Amino acid sequence: MKSWLRLHRYALMVTLRRLAAQPFSSLANLVVMALALALPLLGAAILVSAQPVARQLSVTPEVTLFLSTAAPGGTADAVAQRIRDENADQVQQVRVIPRDEALASLRNDPTWDQALAVLPGNPLPDAVVATLTEGEQLAERADTLAQTWQQWDHVDLVQLDSAWVQRLEAILRFARAGLIFLAACVAAVVLAAVFNTVRMQAMLQREEIAVARLVGATESFVRRPFLYLGALSGALAALIAIGAAALALTPLNDALRTLAQSYGADFALHLPGLPVLAVAVIGTGILGALAARWSVTRSTRF
Amino acid sequence: MIEFQHVFKSYGRGRNILADINFRVTAGEFLFVSGASGAGKSTLLKLIGGLEPASRGSIQVNGQRLDQLSSHARPYLRRAVGVILQDTHLLFDRSALQNVMLPLAVTGQSRSSASARARAALDKVGLAGKEDMNPIELSGGEQQRLAIARAIVNRPAILIADEPTANLDQDTARRILNVFRDFNRVGVTTLIASHDHTLMAQYATRTLRLEPGKFFDSGIPHHHSPAGSASTGGQHNGDVTPGVQA
Repeated sequence: MKSWLRLHRYALMVTLRRLAAQPFSSLANLVVMALALALPLLGAAILVSAQPVARQLSVTPEVTLFLSTAAPGGTADAVAQRIRDENADQVQQVRVIPRDEALASLRNDPTWDQALAVLPGNPLPDAVVATLTEGEQLAERADTLAQTWQQWDHVDLVQLDSAWVQRLEAILRFARAGLIFLAACVAAVVLAAVFNTVRMQAMLQREEIAVARLVGATESFVRRPFLYLGALSGALAALIAIGAAALALTPLNDALRTLAQSYGADFALHLPGLPVLAVAVIGTGILGALAARWSVTRSTRF
Repeated sequence: MIEFQHVFKSYGRGRNILADINFRVTAGEFLFVSGASGAGKSTLLKLIGGLEPASRGSIQVNGQRLDQLSSHARPYLRRAVGVILQDTHLLFDRSALQNVMLPLAVTGQSRSSASARARAALDKVGLAGKEDMNPIELSGGEQQRLAIARAIVNRPAILIADEPTANLDQDTARRILNVFRDFNRVGVTTLIASHDHTLMAQYATRTLRLEPGKFFDSGIPHHHSPAGSASTGGQHNGDVTPGVQA
């Protein structure tokens, strides 16, 4: 066991010595990999920051029926009851928002208060909000119901309230797929960079490898420092990438906060949590070691 | 200890460098491999060291048949065979001591133990006090002795050296050979390739002589007169008798 540990310690020392022997070349390699890794990290930051916003908003389709302002009193309750009777299996909940209640709600909003003050009466109609049940082909069902309800007497306008939230969800799904593609591309960049670094190192260490084999080194002994080189390069590049991404988010967030505050909201981009970042560092290290193994196996066949 | 049976060696489809070589070396022998340049001396030593595979035939070293040895087991055989090639293959990016420590690092020795053993090996070859020097700062003879120290630091059972005295003056060459004789005296089987008949003549010993298409074995293993006093008596290189002829 001690001997095994000593062999690993020796390999690690050899790796550090080789890295230190070419500081600028090693650093340039790390920076290239780190910049490539920073891109999916920034993408992930946008996704993890936007997802909770989308989740806070209801994605359950709500259909609002705006009644004609000329509709007689009690029409809203009658429409609500008709929905309950005719579409009980498709509707989760129906509620009526009387025009006075809607006006009162708007008056509580200072943005609307002044505009409403100049109006002679209440311009708002009674409304009926139907929350649909979740299930298959929800979008099509919502469209069909909206078209049916639009035909009813005293119904002026039917609006699918949650359509834009669904669109946002679709955009986020697309962004997630894009991020996976970007991560795969970056993985290929890391693979290529480590492969090339190890190949160059193996060529530089050709004599040392030959001598080590001459004196009885196993192939594991020969390969181990290169595997450490790959793993260390990958993990260090990931750490630098996290630092660079965090640094880049600072000015971005300053600008974003100002923009969000003008809408009365508080929104900032933040990197994924520590466990995800740890997995990224370890994963990149493993990827580097795999690339190094592939490269060293090919480069030391002499 | 070493046994060649009908061994052939060629590269690609070229002519045989070695053809139908048969000989046997017992433990503790000291022998020369002689022959002109291109006769196959280096190839013969590389076959013994497991650095090259034979094209045909069977080679047994230290109780193991090389053609049946897995690639995983080959490094362990190499640890039992100290090899000094014509080009010393010293590493010029580290000190003499670190060069000698490499075979010990390969086996997972602790740094302190490896350092102590490497210093002892350097002392044995007369390089004490030059541990921290870079090999480039050493003379040709010292570099050769450094290569010997590296080859013996793992206490190999067999020591093979390819032209270790080439390009050295007679005095230095004799000193180098005496170093080999010292190791042989403590039981290390030693094979030295050389084309320097004058030097070999000073050591009455068994010689394997290679000539294009032919192989001669002087045969009888000899135990020698004390190291350093080159014997002129008894059987010498001029007496080589044909062994198995290719």
